[in-house]
Amino acid sequence: MTLRALLVDDEELARQLLREYLAGQPDVEIVGECGNGFDAVKAIQELQPDVVFLDVQMPKLDGFEVLELIQTRAAIVFVTAYDQYATKAFDAAAVDYLLKPFDETRFQTALGRVRRRLAENSPAALDAGQLKNAAKMPGQFAERIVVKDGTRVHIIPIKQLDFVEAQEDYVAIHSAGKTYLKQQTISSLEESLNPSQYIRVHRSYIVSLEQVSKIEPYSKDSRIAILKSGAQVPVSRTGYLRLREAMES
Amino acid sequence: MGAMLGFVLSIFGKLRFIDGLVLTLPVTILLAIVCLSPWYTCRALPLNRTPFPRVLLSHVVAAGLASSLVMVVVQILFGIGARFSPALADRLGSVTPVLAGTVFLFFLLSIALHYVMISVESSKQAEILSREAELKALKAQVNPHFLFNSLNSISALTTVDPKRAREMCIRLSDFLRISLRLGEKSSIPFGEELSLASSYLDVEQIRFGSRLRVQNNFDPATADCEVPPLLVQPLVENAIKHGIASLSEGGEILMSARVDNQRLRFSIENAFDPDAPAMRKSGFGLVNVRNRLTARYGSAARLDIQVENNVYKVVMTLPV
Repeated sequence: MTLRALLVDDEELARQLLREYLAGQPDVEIVGECGNGFDAVKAIQELQPDVVFLDVQMPKLDGFEVLELIQTRAAIVFVTAYDQYATKAFDAAAVDYLLKPFDETRFQTALGRVRRRLAENSPAALDAGQLKNAAKMPGQFAERIVVKDGTRVHIIPIKQLDFVEAQEDYVAIHSAGKTYLKQQTISSLEESLNPSQYIRVHRSYIVSLEQVSKIEPYSKDSRIAILKSGAQVPVSRTGYLRLREAMES
Repeated sequence: MGAMLGFVLSIFGKLRFIDGLVLTLPVTILLAIVCLSPWYTCRALPLNRTPFPRVLLSHVVAAGLASSLVMVVVQILFGIGARFSPALADRLGSVTPVLAGTVFLFFLLSIALHYVMISVESSKQAEILSREAELKALKAQVNPHFLFNSLNSISALTTVDPKRAREMCIRLSDFLRISLRLGEKSSIPFGEELSLASSYLDVEQIRFGSRLRVQNNFDPATADCEVPPLLVQPLVENAIKHGIASLSEGGEILMSARVDNQRLRFSIENAFDPDAPAMRKSGFGLVNVRNRLTARYGSAARLDIQVENNVYKVVMTLPV
């Protein structure tokens, strides 16, 4: 079986090194190379590679954001000079990670792991949202949300987030009058947000505290939050307690 | 201090020196404890931020209270002393005002001493802070990511372009050598700052290739200005890390330096991706440079940031 590999790194020399190491592997075919996150999302979708060598720090989207936006059965190998925070995340989901600079033996070990993983034919389902949460440092929160819409990638600055609504396997992200659908659980999204600013007011809703203009009673146990945009968001009893606590602090 | 007080009393009152000593020893111990109390009041009323009349009034009241407290105890001691020797009681009565005055003055002296201690302490603190900032700058200087990415580039070049691999090794060594040398000094000519920054850019140039384009406009008169070391390179690193590296097609870095009215003005601007997370736009490098400027020059130096049309501009001005 031939391994179809995609190389993603914004530095030409870093890709050059991967090409050189792969040249010694007759059963590996390089199907593409990308220098930024947007191109990587597109290439992974179109080429469906077996293995992706993925840099973390890149223009447009970082490596974690790329993983968030794609569905792939490809084995992911991170290639990065950053080791302090990501190690944990890599352990959780990636097949392997290579710390720059690395030698050919280390590279072959990673390739061996990729082959075994693909032979098992059960690439671990990668929860990219969870991966990103694991990789963030304590006290550090998402500053933007990335969403893919067909072939387009939208970047939503976190400040423009109005509210989020859970819809089965998706979350509907409402921002500046627009709605974006993203395949992610509301809990994993909640975890990436600053809890003093973005409040889980309901099992299915997260709201931006800045956007709340007033709260009105709805029924005996529930309330409704009216946002500056005019949108109405249900607020449960515990959600109301959280909201009040956040407003008071 | 007790002996001194006893001596003072034996002069002013008609006490024998030994009487004074016996009397004043317990008083001195009490006084020593009471004189520790300005530790709180002096910190609550810092000299540079409290109006002087308020400082004076508060401390005089405190001194009055403290000496009253001491005198109450003294009266009790006299009472005990009087039982053993009525003659002593007579002589003791005459020294009471002297003793009260002395205690009052001692208390004021202790307040002054506390202020001196506080100012020594805070100047030490400032020194530690500025030292820490310097150390952080040194550490940031040799950023491990920069080092590892550069080593990775060298590793890639060894087979395809050994000559450039060697060149990059040498540029990297130059940069490390100059950093180590400059980091030890407290000030250096600005020209050396620029050459350190340029050795850093040489390394990044190989790594980023055509994505990194640099233009300089340095007035030669700036070269001899004395400045603290490691100010320029962190600004250059910031421009690359948060600017050029965030753009797939790369961009240009523009630097200029000139001297105006006894002030050195250095500016650096770079393109950046406005969609990049804010974290990437302003790094810790800038914060560190600003802290070090403040530690050295106070408000006489500035670090201003302007963002306009996707161009990020940092302007540093400092007295020379």
